[in-house]
Formats: sequence, structure tokens, C-alpha cells
Amino acid sequence: MDSQPEPVSYICGDCGMENTLKPGDVIQCRECGYRILYKKRTRRIVQYEAR
Amino acid sequence: MVSIEYTKGSHGDITVATKKDVIIGRLPIMLRSRCCVLNLRDEAELARLGECPLDPGGYFVVKGTEKVILIQEQLSKNRIIIDKDSKGHLIASVTSSTDAIKSKTVFILDKEKIRVVLNQFIKPIPIMVIMKAMGIESDQEVVQMIGRDPRYGVLLLPSIQECVEENVYTQQQALEYLETKVKRFSFSYGSVEKEGRALSIIRDVFLANVLVRDLHFRPKCIYVAVILRRMMEAVLNKDAIDDKDYVGNKRLELSGQMISLLFEDLFKTMNSEVKKSTDNLLEKSSRSSKLDISQHLARDIITHGLERAISTGNWDVKRFKMHRKGMTQVVLRLSFIATVGHMTRILPQFEKSRKVSGPRALQPSQWGMLCPCDTPEGEACGLVKNLSLMTHVTTDDEEGPLISLCHSLGVEDLELLSGEELHAPNSFLVMFNGLILGKHRKPQHFATALRKLRRAGIIGEFVSVFVNEKQKCIYIASDGGRVCRPLVIADKGISRVKEHHMKELKVGIRTFNDFLRDGLIEYLDVNEQNNALIALYEGEAVPETTHVEIEPFTILGVCAGLIPFPHHNQSPRNTYQCAMGKQAMGNIAYNQLCRMDSLLYLLVYPQRPLLTTRTIELVGYDKLGAGQNATVAVMSYSGYDIEDAIVMNKSSLDRGFGRCIVTKKLTAINQKYANNTMDRIIRPQRVGRDAERMQILDDDGLAAPGEIIRPYDIYINKQSPINKEISVHSPAGLPDSAYKSAIQTYKGPRGETAVVDRVALTSDKDNNLCIKFLIRHTRRPELGDKFSSRHGQKGVCGTIIQQEDFPFSERGICPDLIMNPHGFPSRMTIGKMIELLGGKAGVSCGRFHYGSAFGEPSGHADRVEVISETLVKHGFSYSGKDFIYSGITGSPLQAYIFMGPIYYQKLKHMVLDKMHARASGPRVMLTRQPTEGRSRDGGLRLGEMERDCLIAYGASMLIYERLMVSSDPFEVQVCRACGLLGYYNYKLKAGICSTCKNGDNISTMKLPYACKLLFQELQSMNIVPRLKLAEA
Repeated sequence: MDSQPEPVSYICGDCGMENTLKPGDVIQCRECGYRILYKKRTRRIVQYEAR
Repeated sequence: MVSIEYTKGSHGDITVATKKDVIIGRLPIMLRSRCCVLNLRDEAELARLGECPLDPGGYFVVKGTEKVILIQEQLSKNRIIIDKDSKGHLIASVTSSTDAIKSKTVFILDKEKIRVVLNQFIKPIPIMVIMKAMGIESDQEVVQMIGRDPRYGVLLLPSIQECVEENVYTQQQALEYLETKVKRFSFSYGSVEKEGRALSIIRDVFLANVLVRDLHFRPKCIYVAVILRRMMEAVLNKDAIDDKDYVGNKRLELSGQMISLLFEDLFKTMNSEVKKSTDNLLEKSSRSSKLDISQHLARDIITHGLERAISTGNWDVKRFKMHRKGMTQVVLRLSFIATVGHMTRILPQFEKSRKVSGPRALQPSQWGMLCPCDTPEGEACGLVKNLSLMTHVTTDDEEGPLISLCHSLGVEDLELLSGEELHAPNSFLVMFNGLILGKHRKPQHFATALRKLRRAGIIGEFVSVFVNEKQKCIYIASDGGRVCRPLVIADKGISRVKEHHMKELKVGIRTFNDFLRDGLIEYLDVNEQNNALIALYEGEAVPETTHVEIEPFTILGVCAGLIPFPHHNQSPRNTYQCAMGKQAMGNIAYNQLCRMDSLLYLLVYPQRPLLTTRTIELVGYDKLGAGQNATVAVMSYSGYDIEDAIVMNKSSLDRGFGRCIVTKKLTAINQKYANNTMDRIIRPQRVGRDAERMQILDDDGLAAPGEIIRPYDIYINKQSPINKEISVHSPAGLPDSAYKSAIQTYKGPRGETAVVDRVALTSDKDNNLCIKFLIRHTRRPELGDKFSSRHGQKGVCGTIIQQEDFPFSERGICPDLIMNPHGFPSRMTIGKMIELLGGKAGVSCGRFHYGSAFGEPSGHADRVEVISETLVKHGFSYSGKDFIYSGITGSPLQAYIFMGPIYYQKLKHMVLDKMHARASGPRVMLTRQPTEGRSRDGGLRLGEMERDCLIAYGASMLIYERLMVSSDPFEVQVCRACGLLGYYNYKLKAGICSTCKNGDNISTMKLPYACKLLFQELQSMNIVPRLKLAEA
């Protein structure tokens, strides 16, 4: 891997805090200890087809 | 889950230690039950908790899945049931169930002799022997106890004779006789306490529900006498035979009872386990520390036992020899109504295979208790039932106070009665929960008194009092599992509920419970209904009327309640709709978008039905609908509408009609292995071979929400170590070469694109990283998608036609779909026509019309005349027919067209999930034949019957092509000498027979590979198949 990978952040399912995770980390919110994290929506431009 | 407070005494030397709050186990809690956190929350609170306020609750969440414990239907316990067995013998059976023992006692009338069948005896025992064993040695007393009617004496004579033939005259002789008939167990410990064996069986097992205290057999003797009397009545009068299918003879077992049964068993197992482990410890010679029993409390026996039972549905209670399967089901989340309907389902306990129609038939006693429409088709038809709207299933009520109350109301105790007095005329026996309490001289007076007490709230509202004139018995029941329903009480035909009560209800200062408490409404069970004269409406009441129905539409259940005007439909159509309403797509719950279901069907623009019923409003279907109001023209259009197909308007589909969302959950687990290695998720390659398939991945190797995902796209860039067994020193420092790719790709219908909706990261029970992807796919209706109205009229989309070609009315109204009129005559769904009329009137006047079942007299359903008047007022024809122009030619159609809105449901069966075709594709390794099934891209089988057709027709080349060329052709070398298969030697370029060791008589031929496989398998079993070749 060439450049330093920019960390991907996750949103806590309970309090909405943004968390960053490293490989091997326990899946847990740093703020409230909630154990379900959601990925943030993509920042790329997506073009949906309206059918 | 709940922790149980628990105190414990531990004997060190003399001291008694007490521990509080010891957890012995955790048990699942039913949602919305009294212990649940969601209990008594209002809508806002529930919304804050992320829960749907309309969710019915009543299920359990175990290991992440929602499970319902279905209501179990069984024959009532501890009651005398007179019946005929398969050979036509009259039998009386009592299934006794106490907290200690469960037994079944059967009295059988065979060749005029009455015998008792009990599991503990090797053969049927003459009844008189039993009576003598219980201490009634005088035949005269038995006859007196049964009743002095000479007809009864005649019937009992053969039994008395049989007893004499066996030389049994005294209690001692009877017990000795029984001793010889007791079933021997393989290891006979009986020699020691042989004397007591027969006596203990008679005392504890025979009619176990009648308790015997200090060998005081009198109550049991009277119980037997009553059974005998009822049997003889049944001999003399066929009508006295009980109906097993009668709802009053049934009990519904709810989840609470099931759980308590299981808990009791598990608790006892835990106790014995504690005892075992302490015993083990005490046996050890060298004990270092003092004994502390609390250390031995295993806390997971109860937790795991309950968890396992609920998640598998297998109820195994060893003490009662109970092994039941399929007690729980995963809650259906296809639609809101499917979930609600699932909570009311009743499962039968007896086997389904029997071909008798009795248990499947609709019982008149089912009225108001169980839904007459909602039952599945096919195998379980009539056996699986559903509760009606207002049904209440009773729970156990305390017996002691009721018994003493009965005595103070003038019940003469059994102990004080002689056999002669028992059946004295003008006195009724009082039976309490199957036990004989005594007798009463003024039965009606007694029953009224009890009922008055119940209405006053002194005794439980679910206690039932039933006077049986025929049997001269008063049955009082306070046991659990009886079905009952509320009714308005009427005095001399005048309802107690007055207008001002209803006004108070409307304003909100009076609730249903107030009606109950004030004695305006009471619950009646099936038996007590026999003593009541119930008027359907207040106006129909006569002076003898005791009760008035609350509302007739409540005889239907939740699913049947959705149908408008069901009383105008042919009955099977309502049953079909009950099954189909559960498959309709719509809203599932308010929190449907927060849920992570493995498969979810949602409608994009669900609507509330234009023609509603009161039930719809009561259950909340108007808030979580599953369908759309489509303008339907009943006419023929093109040939694509035959056989129930519907023609759809393309512009309607563009506007969103029938558009649905299908979300699927994909799971990936970042596994840890035993040798400390684990899977890893790495950054995607941005260039190279797989780069194109990895476009939607973020830098963390996971697909990002919002991205469009196509089939074969990678959604997780995972690698797993090659070496998973041998332990590795530094798992982190493993080189890239030690991993192999374990990517997961999206497999969906080709040519369709879906969207990654959400990605959730959690850890599973083994602490592995678990990633869940929710993939959303929006679908518009296409050819072959299934739709249905609410009247059991399903159909597939036959064609989609441009709105330009669609017929239109003078007002410019263009239908959303066209239905063929041939659907009406044979199905007789008049309700659908009225729904169309009512819907049309509804849209024109701006008011929701009602179509509750049997609702016309009470104003819960609109009459056709009124609807027609509304239509005329708004410029439509009274008949609902419109003047229509053809969309193709522009000229008016010859006929007026019946057109208006009908609520249509889109069913979950969609072409996209079912269509399948294959030219060539994957094959099974073993047989080299094409795979089977759509999921494996399988071939379409030409089966035996199709083959038979081809043989009969003589299409031999087609058979050859289908069964060989297109399936599994294989070239083999056959030895003409030995007839066995050889091989092809590529060096010598010749076939060689391995048996003959030469290549002299080798022929090359083609065989199906499966045929070659068969030969080899036969050879492996020492059977030699030889091929004999001849010129073709």
C-alpha cells in the first residue's frame, strides 16, 4: 500500500458520534459504548436512474 | 431478560447465611408484556425508543430473531368426555393433569361390560373391581350412587356379574386381583412394597385429578359413579355423547403456560444438578474449603434451556413425557397484517394426517371466538385457526375462595351426601373445574347468585357458570385456556348500555374496563353461552334475551376484517383473501427502515383503503396499509387479460403504482481462527484486474452506502489466511502471500442494479467482526407480477399498455388497470363490486365509506342505495357504469363500463425472483449432469412422464438428444470380449481393456456419464454389469 490510507469513520447507532476504527479494534462507540456502528454514506457522486 | 431474586441458606456449622439477588438464570420476556420495557409506553415514548407503536408485541426476541410461541389447542383436561372409539365402543375418558402427574383414564363399554383402561395395568379392569378396591364392597351402594332408575341397574348388571365371576367380593380380594394385573417393570422392585402397588395406582394415577387424602376414597367413588351414570345416559340416549370438536371442550394453551411448564422442569433440573455437584464435592476425602452451596448454582441451565426451546420450537419436558415440535415460529414480517395475524394463530395438537372431516369442519360453537374465514388451504385446512377480534383466553383463577363461596351459597358438601341422595330429583350436581363439589337444590338461584357476584366484580370476570339441564349439573370453571368473549348484558331484553354510556365512551371518560366493572358488559365462555339468549341487535331483543352482541363483525378475525363487505362474498373467497393479505406488500412498521431484516418487501407509495372497515381502524391497517387504490375498469381489453390477467396502465406505473422496494441483508464475518490468525479486510485495488468490480468499495474495503451495486460487484474485499490450523508466532506479521482472497460478490438478477442501503458493523457472539450490508432494490411492476384485490381475486399482470391506448371517460378518467369481467360470474364476489361503488362514491364526495361485515343494520357499512344516491348526486350513473371512449379509435365504446377505485394489493411473488432459463451452464461434479434448481442456474428436467410421452410418440432421436447429448455424454472403451469398460491409452493411441490386459476387442461408444457411474458403483458392490454390443 502506497500512501497512508485516510481513515474511514463510522457513525454510532445510538448517539451518532463519529468513530474511526483500526483493524483489530473492538466495534464499540467511544462515546457511549454502543456496539453497532454504521458506515457513512459515500461522498462520491452517484447518479440514480429514475425509472 | 430478568434476574431473579433468590435467598439461600448455607449450613457452615450452625449458621445460616443468606444471599440476596442471586441470578439463577435469565428468561426471555414477551414484548409488550408487563415486564417489558415497552409496556404502557405512549406513542411518543415508543417512537423515541425506535419502536413501532402499532406493533402488536406478543413475541419473544431470542438470539436476534423474533419468535412467536403459537397458541396450542387441546382437549380440556380433568373433564369427563363421553365419546365413541373407532370400533364403536362407548368410552368415557378423563385426562387428568395435576402439578405432580399426568394420566389418562378411559372407561370402555365392551360387550355390555364396563372396564377401565389405565396405562399401569396390562389389561382392562372390570369397573366393579375398581369400586371394590376403593372400598365400596356392596353392589347395592354402587347402584344407589349411579341412580335407582331400573334401566341403569340393567346396564350395570353384566359388570357386576363379571366381578363375581372373578371371585372378587371384598376390598382385599380386589386389591389382590389388581396386583396381578399391574404392569411389571423390567427391574422388579415391587417385592418390597408389593402390598401397596395396586392401591397406590388407584390412589395416585387412576383419575389423578380427584385427590385422595388419607385413603379417603369417597370423592373418587362418587366421581366414578358420575362417569358411569353419564355413560349409561349416553347408552340410552345418543345425544348425550360429547362432541370432541365443541369449542367448550377445548382449551387454548398460551405461551405463558408453555414457558412456565418449561421453567418448572428446568428449575427442577437445576436443583438436582446442584445436589449432584455438592454430593460429588462431599464425597471427596480432602476438602480444603468449607462447603458453600451457592458456588454450585449453575446459572445457565435455565437460560440455555429456555433459549434453546424457544429458538428451536422443541418442547421437551421429561417429567410429563412431553415432546412437542414446532411450537415456535419466526414472526412473519411480510406485511403488518401478517405479523398481527401470526399472533392470533392457533395450532392443533393432534396429527394432521387423519382423513376425518370433523375437526376441520366449521363448528357452530366457534361463533365469535374463532374466525370462520381465516384458515389455510390444503393440508392444515380447518385445523389451524385464528382468534376472532374480541376473543379473550382465560388464565387460571384462584380456586380456594371460589370453592368456599360456593359452599356459603348453599352447595351441600359431597362428604355429607349418601349415595342415594346424590342424584335425587330437583337437585343439581355442582362441578367445579371438573371436580364434584357437591349438590345444590336450587340450581337456577345458585347460578344467578354467582353471576351477580361476578358482575359486581366480587369474583373474577372470567369465571363461568353453566347450568346443564340435561346432565343436571352446574359447571363452574375458573381454569385457564377457555375462550370467551364480551357481551352486553340485557335485563328483560333491554340492554344495560345506554346512550349516555356511549357518549361518555366517545368523550373518553369511560373505557371498556369501566363497562366491565359497572356490570354493563361481561365475558361469557362457550359453555355459558348455552345459558344465554343473545340478541344480534338491541332492536331484535325479546323479553327472554339476556345479552346483546357488541358488534357482529367481531366474529371475524384480524385478517378477515380487512375485507370490505365480506358478507356479500362467496365464503371461500374470504378465506383466500385471508391467506393473500399476509403476502401483500406494504408497510411493516413505523420503524421499517431502521430494521435489518434478511428480506423485506415494502411498497413505495402505500395508501389507505378508500373503503375501510371498523376492523381496519381498530388494528391500524389504515396507518400501515398494504396496497393502493387503483381505478379499475371491468372490461375486456386485448387478449392479454384472459385467465385473471390484468392489463396495466404504463403511466400509472410511471406515477408509482405498485412500485416496491426489496431489501436483502448480506452478512460477512471477519473470522478468527484457532491458530491466532484471522481474516483481514484490506484496501481495494484501484488499478488492475479486479479494480472495476471494486469501484464501490471505500478505503476500508467495505462497500459504501449509497453506491449502486451491480451483479458480480465485490462488496467486501476480504482475505483469509491460507494456513488456518498450524499455529503462527506473529499473526500480525504474516506476509501478503500467506493470504488468499475471500472476496464476496453481490449476486442479483442480471441487468438489474441495486443500491447499498446501509452498512452496519457489529461483533457477533464469538467476538468476530460482523458486517451487515443492506441492499435495496426498487422494482416497478412488470409482466407477470402478481396482484390481488381484497376479495380473493388474484391475477398476474398480463400486459402493460400506454395510457394513450387506454380507454377514458368523458371526465378524462383513465383506469389504472383493466380487469376482465369473466372474473365475476363464477366467483360471486359481490363485495368487490360494492367496494368499487363505495370507493367511487367516496372519491367523489370526499368521505371514506365503510364496509364492515354485517354492518348495514348498525351503520358500519354503507348500503348500496345510499352509495348510488351519492353517485347520482355527483353526476355518475347509479350503477357505477361510465360512458367510455376507446383509447385506440377514440370512438365511444358500445357498452357502459363499470369503473371505479378498488384497493389492490401487490403480492410478494414477482417474476424477477422466479424467472429462470438456461442453455448450458454448471454441472454436478458426481454425475456430470446439469445442476438442479434456479438458485444454481440449473437445467429444466425432462422427467419420466415427459420421457414416456416421447417414447409413446416414437421420437427416439429427441430422447437421445435430451437424455444424452444435452445432458452428460461420455465416451467409453468397451471390451467386446469381457463386456467391461476399459481405458484409452494416449501413448499407444488405442483403447485397452484392463481386465483382458489387451486392446484387441475394444470398441468406442458413447454412454451417459451417469450410466458409467452406475456400472462402477455396481462393481464396487460386487455386481458385474457387462455390456453386450451389437450392430445398430
